[in-house]
Amino acid sequence: MKTCLLRTALLSLATCTPLLAAPPPPLPAEHLTVATLPPNNPHRVYVLDEAFNNEIDSRVLLFDGDTYKRLGQIGAGFNPGFNLSPDGKTTVVGTTYFARGSRGKRTDVVEFNDNTTLSVEHEIVLPPKRAMTLPTYFNLAFSSDSRFLYVSYVTPAASFGVLDPAKYSVLSEIDTAGCVLTIPSGPNRVSSICESGRLLTVTLNEQGHEASRAMSEPFFDADKDPVFVQGIPTSDGYAFLSFLGEVHEVDLSGAQPAFHPVWSLLDAADKAQGWRPGGTQVGAIHKKLGRLFVSMHRGGEGTHKAGGTEIWEFDLKTHKRVARWPLAALKLDAVGALQVTQDDAPILFAATEKADVAVIDALTGRLRHVEKQLGQTPWLMMNP
Amino acid sequence: MRSLDKLFENSSRSLARHTSRRSVLATLGQILTGAALVPLLPVDRSSRAQAAEPKGAAKGQSDDPKSCEYWKYCAVDGFLCSCCGGSSNSCPPGTRPSPITWIGTCHNPADQRDYIVSYNDCCGKTSCGNCECNRNEREKPMYRPSRNNDLNWCMASGDNSNYHCSVSVILGLSESAK
Repeated sequence: MKTCLLRTALLSLATCTPLLAAPPPPLPAEHLTVATLPPNNPHRVYVLDEAFNNEIDSRVLLFDGDTYKRLGQIGAGFNPGFNLSPDGKTTVVGTTYFARGSRGKRTDVVEFNDNTTLSVEHEIVLPPKRAMTLPTYFNLAFSSDSRFLYVSYVTPAASFGVLDPAKYSVLSEIDTAGCVLTIPSGPNRVSSICESGRLLTVTLNEQGHEASRAMSEPFFDADKDPVFVQGIPTSDGYAFLSFLGEVHEVDLSGAQPAFHPVWSLLDAADKAQGWRPGGTQVGAIHKKLGRLFVSMHRGGEGTHKAGGTEIWEFDLKTHKRVARWPLAALKLDAVGALQVTQDDAPILFAATEKADVAVIDALTGRLRHVEKQLGQTPWLMMNP
Repeated sequence: MRSLDKLFENSSRSLARHTSRRSVLATLGQILTGAALVPLLPVDRSSRAQAAEPKGAAKGQSDDPKSCEYWKYCAVDGFLCSCCGGSSNSCPPGTRPSPITWIGTCHNPADQRDYIVSYNDCCGKTSCGNCECNRNEREKPMYRPSRNNDLNWCMASGDNSNYHCSVSVILGLSESAK
């Protein structure tokens, strides 16, 4: 009975205590501010969300692969291309606006966004010829010294514009005889890919006008095995993967393109099983480590846009596969876009067809994080 | 084809250097037309886009024009106009058919014939957003525009170059099926 009384007393004390305690102090008044970006780090990635379901509202999303934070957004208008300046300080967006949102007068424009504020600082209005197509590295691209900015035009006649990003002006338009996109090399050369499997290389003078042009030998066959136009930056140029898994490394360090010996991602067994690369950004290269990452799937003709069910890693010197990461084991959907950071502790970003972005340790394949729904349609990722 | 390419490239490069842009544009149009076997680029197909929905269910494939598996959609990358107020060969109300287009060949399992189809985009409104379809049989990258579905074919529609949805219009039997 004594124990029972004591228990009752303790219980009522415990029950009453909160009522007797002083209420917490009110929350302090807040000040509305605008957040500033934290200091830069090598694991930031710029993700182009085409927003395909409402394509006039595309955007570039800035995501941090260390903190997994969404840092901000750059507007990208309709069916855009985008790229980063060689110093990483500027994001250029080539896009189109209609005066009344989804209708009205068409204006094609290149916007210069400050990557420390994510604000548009300048723009250059273009002739209404901008190539409206899947985003690649080559829809618009800087010369190595940032003196020129090149913009691909398709009307469907193909040409490109040469812009002055310091004076914000259009310097010239150069016809490319049906060859497309602007693959930059050095301070004044632009190569375009031709249906014949050749590269047309135009060299510019000081004023940004054509000084000379030359056509390379064919390096692929568009009928038998086309290359993806999503070239992957290498230490001396770009690697172009073919639909059937061949690797065409193009050296653009000289006055004219030079072609390394072609090699294949596939051995006989892989070919028999129907493995192929596919997606909107089919691969990424870590230049210092000499490693190529490719999204691979099994399929036949017409599956070149299918996302990868595995990521394969290759040594660019030996051309041997050094790792194979099945994505089902990581509980990831098929991957349509890949990008890798260029530091010594690299991160591989993998955007799935369901718009999740996986953060993967590029050295081990260990999955660190999955950022769910980073936009609607993340088709291209860039890293400074 | 390779030698033809070379011939066309060389002639175009020469033209680019020695003639006006208007002339070069016309020449490029002819090049694309030549590459496409039938005279399709650029051409206004808006009248054809009003034709009736074709009959004949595809065996082993969907016979539903609202399904991406419908035989005529073998290289459509976009939103099906059938799900947006139009049909497989008509644009939704208030939109405009693209005056230029690209073509493909699709096999109809119902009659075992190959047909040449014209893939037009319907333009002037923002994305329909329904029935996204991404099929790419015999599709090629944009350096072969006459076989490319990544390009926005509303590009030449001026202030109406906004992309809304895609149709697939039968042009006739392919040469091999005749």
